[in-house]
Amino acid sequence: MLDALQMLTGELQQVAALGLLESEAPEDLIERVRESINSMDDGDGVLIAVDLFGATPFHASSRLFLESEKKIEVITGVNLPMLAEIVVDRQELSIEDFVKHAYQAGMDGIQMLPDSIRNAKSSLK
Amino acid sequence: MSVMHVRMDNRLIHGQILVSWNSHYKIDHLIVTNDKVASDPLQITLLKAVTPIGAKVSVLTVADCVKYCLSPEAEKENIFVIAKTPEDGWELVERGLNIPMLNLGNQAFVRNSKKLSNTVFLTEEGVKALKKIHEKGIKITCRMMPTDPENEFWTTIEKTYPEWVK
Repeated sequence: MLDALQMLTGELQQVAALGLLESEAPEDLIERVRESINSMDDGDGVLIAVDLFGATPFHASSRLFLESEKKIEVITGVNLPMLAEIVVDRQELSIEDFVKHAYQAGMDGIQMLPDSIRNAKSSLK
Repeated sequence: MSVMHVRMDNRLIHGQILVSWNSHYKIDHLIVTNDKVASDPLQITLLKAVTPIGAKVSVLTVADCVKYCLSPEAEKENIFVIAKTPEDGWELVERGLNIPMLNLGNQAFVRNSKKLSNTVFLTEEGVKALKKIHEKGIKITCRMMPTDPENEFWTTIEKTYPEWVK
């Protein structure tokens, strides 16, 4: 997903993509996320975007939210439209506004096929 | 109905449980059991917060888990127990939880563990705990998903760790 994102936006700084390995212990994932946060946070905070609510990456991120002194926010349901929309103007926003922006962008990024396309199909016949 | 399923899974409540196992069973009560987890307030907060399936979630020591599962209250519930390790699984049995089958779920790589499959790595202590479970006549399965076959897995464990099952 990070590769796809950078195809849209160009190379990005202060972004990392972490995957949970099949054989990895949850405790090890927490440490990898912690290290990643430490290596990129300049004090403004870090947004962690995960896929499934309640799954292991979500647990790890929420745990860091609870125990870290840093400003950490977590959002679930990550999708490419969400990331593409938010990375562009992230410098201007506080972490609190940034996560709200991500939430809205993630929802707006899900669309059904519009009628303009649907109707075009019947006229093709 | 009481305890429907006991899984040994070091990821505790995670995606597979919420998505697949919950639609396979109608879970009323998810009990996570491990003494260390039960004494970690952060982890208890997280486990209780992240279960969107509508089941009740408890985080109990192994002793309290067995006590609860044997209580009349448990009779009315469909309980899914998640123990963290095979050692926890054995302790459940040792303390009197009466179950025909124990399922081995994810066991991540830890120091001194050896690979059984891509998702299961066992330590010598873990294998010894499983051996005791097997010797009690309890079937050991190894199913990540409800659709995985329910066959007896002990022979595979025995073959994979000949030096530890002696």
